[in-house]
Amino acid sequence: MAFITIAPPAQPGSADTSTVPERSKASGPTTAPAAGLRRTRFASLRLGSLRTVFLRTLPSHVLLIALAIVSIFPIYWMFVTAFRPPSDALSINPLPGPLSLENFQYVLKTIPIAGMLANTFGMALALAASQLLVAILASYGFARWDFVGKKALYLLFVGSWLVPFQVTMIPNYLLVSQMGLLNTITGVVIPQLCSAFAVMMLRQHLEAFPKDLLDASQMDGRSSWRTLWEVVVPNLRPALAALGIMLFISAWNEYLWPSLIMQKSDALIQVGIRGFLGAEGNNWGAIMAASSLACLPIFLIYIFLQRYVVDAFVRSGLK
Amino acid sequence: MFIETAGPAAGIAPAGPAGRTATRRSKRRILSPYLYILPAVVLLLVWTYWPLGQTVNLSFNDWNLIPTRPKQYVDVQKYAKVLSLPELHQALINTGLYILAFLGISVALPLVFALLSRKVQGKARTAYQALIFVPFLITPVASSAIWRWLFAPEGGTIPAIAAALGAPMGNVFRDPDSSMTAVIVIVGWQMLGFGVLVVSAGLAGISPDYAAAASIDGASGRQITWRIIIPLLSPSLVFLALMTILLSAQWTYPIIDLVTQGGPGNSSTNIYYLLYQFGFRNFDAGLSSAAGTLFFLGFGLIALVFVELSERLSFYDN
Repeated sequence: MAFITIAPPAQPGSADTSTVPERSKASGPTTAPAAGLRRTRFASLRLGSLRTVFLRTLPSHVLLIALAIVSIFPIYWMFVTAFRPPSDALSINPLPGPLSLENFQYVLKTIPIAGMLANTFGMALALAASQLLVAILASYGFARWDFVGKKALYLLFVGSWLVPFQVTMIPNYLLVSQMGLLNTITGVVIPQLCSAFAVMMLRQHLEAFPKDLLDASQMDGRSSWRTLWEVVVPNLRPALAALGIMLFISAWNEYLWPSLIMQKSDALIQVGIRGFLGAEGNNWGAIMAASSLACLPIFLIYIFLQRYVVDAFVRSGLK
Repeated sequence: MFIETAGPAAGIAPAGPAGRTATRRSKRRILSPYLYILPAVVLLLVWTYWPLGQTVNLSFNDWNLIPTRPKQYVDVQKYAKVLSLPELHQALINTGLYILAFLGISVALPLVFALLSRKVQGKARTAYQALIFVPFLITPVASSAIWRWLFAPEGGTIPAIAAALGAPMGNVFRDPDSSMTAVIVIVGWQMLGFGVLVVSAGLAGISPDYAAAASIDGASGRQITWRIIIPLLSPSLVFLALMTILLSAQWTYPIIDLVTQGGPGNSSTNIYYLLYQFGFRNFDAGLSSAAGTLFFLGFGLIALVFVELSERLSFYDN
């Protein structure tokens, strides 16, 4: 009963909350005034509507909580098992504790995991940097000029989506082996220096770049090269950061190519701990400790740069 | 030597007549886009398109990947052989099943979740999304280890729960009836959150004015969802579906390699894992390349049909 009387004022309130975040999402930096507006309006109907909003969204919350638990529990369990003393590894107590670092000490003693992490970090950083650089140059070339063969050349990038790595892996492997780069990190990096996906993503950003700024820069007497680095890149910093983080994470998580090239080397984490995981059999505490170390850098990036990470990956799926 | 020849050339530019500088400059302007895209195009040609040609070339040869052994031209024998292999049929069926499963997990289910949860906004929404997205970021070695532990017959959480519910389970990865489901669970766990976020972002991009106008006109909630929201979402959905069809064999590859190696008895393999086995386990470059060429053509055809269809079906909000 009380429900119905309060419902009408809740209507504009809830409509307001649903439109504002959307608008702010669409136009990024203008969030501040919109959020302020929302706060003042929201405060006036806060008392009654908050409860109705909560009641109306309760089923949605339940659904999302269930989804979040399914998503997080396996990761939670990885950490819980890793931090238990090895004798308690099989414990089914859902709460963590007693805390112990024994598993981590064992992993550090058994395999050179710190070196693997450092190597993988360097590999992912090199790949992300080179893919970003190549993509900045190419997307600028595509977005700024009209030239003969533009469509055909761009089709090369779009078409590479249809060439799965598994189809070309034998010739790629032979090429790397002819260069004498088998079992080296260089051999892992070289075939992936250009990411067609990054070129396509950046081209969209650059097509949206105001042409007036480019013209003004040209009238100031800047060459196209200086325009790129002094006008375009500084203005695209958020997009470049998001793309760079995404390329870094993808490089870190890449499995197929390292597993082929690094068959006799333990330098990279993806391949290095594979043998350890197999050899340890049922020593779940140690296996979980090694696994959590393997995702640690990505978790750290995610905790501090969550917004960038989600935005970049989701936008890639949105087109 | 260098400096002597470079000297006069550099001297001409400032001293030369205005017309010459202009042509030089326009020549540079014509060339510059090509120079900017050159590194990317060269890398793409060297590491994607030239190898693609090589794969087609290898598919007509018998070769065991040993550089000192000459390739032997065998015409289309490798194609005939690969098409008659039961492993290929099994892998094709499995790949189709994987694609169907992931169309459900990373397109249909996210659509349902996103529609049902769109009322949740603000900070709560950001928090949920942050949590739901985490599995997507887990590196394959770790996710395979986590799930082997969760499914472990001794001490694993899932068998413990199943036993408590009166349905004891064995080792899911060793049973041909369940190995594929296990791979789907692991990869699905990683892809579900991604799908939900993509669909939610698509939903957030739809102006609420349409729904408001329709409800003033007397449309019911269900009509609004089916007639307005879903058609407006179709570009996102079509894109997700195309990605799922083209890429699900690649999503499952690391987990198959790490957890089941395609087994037991090829029950969980897929077409790309088969390419790996032909090439790097049986050292039959011709067979792997013949199969690879066929898959490339097949997926290319599917993608073309899909793009054509989506042009007709998608509904854009202009």
